[in-house]
Amino acid sequence: MNEYLLILLAVLATAGRVLGLTLFSVVTGWLLAYIAIRGRIFETVYISVIEVFESVPVISFFPIVLVIFVERIGGVIGVELAADFLVFTAVVWNIWMAEYQAFKTVPKEMLEVSENYRLSFFSKMKNVYIPFSLPRIAANLFPSISDGFFYITLSEVFAVGAKTYATFGIGTLLSSYVSSGNYFAVYISMLMLGAVIFVIIILLRMYSRYVVSKYTLDTDAPIMRRGRLNFRQTSRVLYVLARNPLGRLAGYYRRAPRRGVYEKEEESRVGRYMAVSIGLLILSFIVYGAYSVVSAVSYRTWALLLSQTPFILYPMVVDYARIAVVLAIVFIFSTLLGYYFALHARSEMIGVPFLQVFSAYPAPIYFPFIYIAIEPALYRLIGGYTSDLFVILLGFISTFYYLFYSFWMGIKALPAEYFDVMRNMNMGFFRRMRSVIIPGTFPYLISGITSTVNSIWGGFIIAEYWPGIYGNRTLQVQTGLMKFIDVNTQNGNIPLAAWASVLFGVVIVVYSLLFTKKMMDLAKKRYVAEEGIFAA
Amino acid sequence: MVEVLAENREVAAGVQQIVLEASNIDFSYENNYKVFEGINIQVRSNEFVGIVGPSGIGKSTLLRILGGFLRPDRGSVFLNGKEIKRPVPEIILIHQSIITFPWMTALENVMLAPRSMRIPDEEAERIARKALEDVGLQGFENLYPKEMSGGMRQRVAIARALAANPTVLLMDEPFAHLDELTAEGLRQDIYNILFRSDTPLKGVVLVSHNLTEVIELADEIYVLNNVPATVVEKVHVDLPRPRSPRDERFNQYLDRLYSLLTPPRGKRGE
Repeated sequence: MNEYLLILLAVLATAGRVLGLTLFSVVTGWLLAYIAIRGRIFETVYISVIEVFESVPVISFFPIVLVIFVERIGGVIGVELAADFLVFTAVVWNIWMAEYQAFKTVPKEMLEVSENYRLSFFSKMKNVYIPFSLPRIAANLFPSISDGFFYITLSEVFAVGAKTYATFGIGTLLSSYVSSGNYFAVYISMLMLGAVIFVIIILLRMYSRYVVSKYTLDTDAPIMRRGRLNFRQTSRVLYVLARNPLGRLAGYYRRAPRRGVYEKEEESRVGRYMAVSIGLLILSFIVYGAYSVVSAVSYRTWALLLSQTPFILYPMVVDYARIAVVLAIVFIFSTLLGYYFALHARSEMIGVPFLQVFSAYPAPIYFPFIYIAIEPALYRLIGGYTSDLFVILLGFISTFYYLFYSFWMGIKALPAEYFDVMRNMNMGFFRRMRSVIIPGTFPYLISGITSTVNSIWGGFIIAEYWPGIYGNRTLQVQTGLMKFIDVNTQNGNIPLAAWASVLFGVVIVVYSLLFTKKMMDLAKKRYVAEEGIFAA
Repeated sequence: MVEVLAENREVAAGVQQIVLEASNIDFSYENNYKVFEGINIQVRSNEFVGIVGPSGIGKSTLLRILGGFLRPDRGSVFLNGKEIKRPVPEIILIHQSIITFPWMTALENVMLAPRSMRIPDEEAERIARKALEDVGLQGFENLYPKEMSGGMRQRVAIARALAANPTVLLMDEPFAHLDELTAEGLRQDIYNILFRSDTPLKGVVLVSHNLTEVIELADEIYVLNNVPATVVEKVHVDLPRPRSPRDERFNQYLDRLYSLLTPPRGKRGE
């Protein structure tokens, strides 16, 4: 087959996987969200499951996924499903959460109209719930698809023990071109993938604008006005507001009171019982799954795993130190650039789409070229720390946009009057940052920091142990939890890798409960900029 | 007290110098809709100026031009003879929506102004406490805006403006979001708060659609009308303070303003 055609097909296959799974997430999310708002038990289970999986980077469950799909199902379908599952888990959570939140916040009056006319399930979905959810979905498509691309190139080719599995896509093709030294084909592949991602991002932006202008309720509040009331500006602000990290932020406000008694009375009994049953079914699956995993592992294996625990915790601490460094760099980068863009509309118009395309482009594809270009010089400079620096660099590349977008959106959502006050008082940059911008964007910053910390692991699992990053070279750090999981997966020591993943998951959940939730509560209590504007 | 202040000002009327001046202002929106043409406004020392006009005529836009937030297409704004090209702390804008920072206490909100002027914290606190006292919020320094009523929040915003030691205060419908009782209370206080002898404040410009409010407070009223807007009349309010809406002459002013504003005029020549 013609090489160009082959590359094009591979790029399309990869893009098709990401887009197809995103669409699958959207459709399943509608159904699940509808069930969730009809039954409290299902709602509680559903939201808790999303919260946990949103916090725990699914890539850390790579070993378990591989075992289930590759070993139990096997064959081409098993490998394809493994790749698809990883992409699905990358794209699904925020879309599902966005749909749930949209369904939960459909205005009561709209629901009353639909009840009044006795609309059927399909009619309600078609005319009320789905249209109302579209702006939130559109807002979440970009980060989802971007994450999907990041993971797909990883998941198209993977190794368990001595075996390597591959499924057709640009990730697989690139890997074979690199190993055969066909660099011309590598560059063509990268270009074609870049072009396809560019087109997808542009289409997404157009779609978002269209959806927001058509399906967003007109909820102009005086505080959001910049100068004269202007629909284009209104939709721009709503567009900004509707985007992902705010969705995550809104997640902390999600325990909205249930709607009035009237609606409850109208709720069909069958629907309620169905929702309760599905909720109980999922809950029992989870409990049974946990029980069967624990009981299937022998006492000896458990003893061995427990004895290895300190050797898992130490690299985890080292990784958290790396996270602190990445976070500091990302924070400085994001706040400076976000602030600059917020004040310079023209730079923003070019800079933001550029960053979107850049962040959606899968770093694992081009990172080896950066590595080979600067590694020798870096090694001469910092010697043994070179690998750590590359881990930090990939961590930065793969996560900077979470905090950047969060902050950028936060600053765009700040009431225009705050900028008037800052200008009026002739505040300097540091005074603006310290007194107004950072506190005013605090909820967005926390949600951005949370996303960054959670997503950094994806970068770390690649960079901490990367055999054959370029030719025969291996990029690896001395110690790191992701390297630990990676090495044990590759050596076929799945129980130990899975145990490390479980411990890691526990730490993440505890961190989420102790830090993120507390910070979000504080943000909700004091740092909601809109509350500073009194417009009765 | 009010009468004494008013008397002092009247005594000084003979030597009132121009503090803020908008000269020959033209302005259009981005869509080329021409909002103003040839607007001239003068604020003299110790003068309270009102601007009224039909809804949508551009009163708030004009206020923002006076504050340097918007640049006119033609004409200039001068503060004490010096051209204003960007917002400056000497001209402070008080917004229609009451602006406070929810993460700061009342005291910290007010301290923001002197802190921005790089005044040391101790002195900034003293200024802020004084400003809060001036607006009647002594004892409420440590409350957060969320814990305050709308009237109290607006007092915080005014205190913050006063703490910046402005020469001119621009007020964009400052009572619009308050209930009538609170608004009336604040209106009665505002004149004394603003023109205390120990403030460097020299002039106030108030934009409002509430004609009673404007007559109650203003010395000069600029009436805007037409498309694009022009000053159709400048009304001098010659009433002793405190002013009562029940007063016959008060109502004559009110009728005069109504006749100038109704019906809103279309394009000139229509």
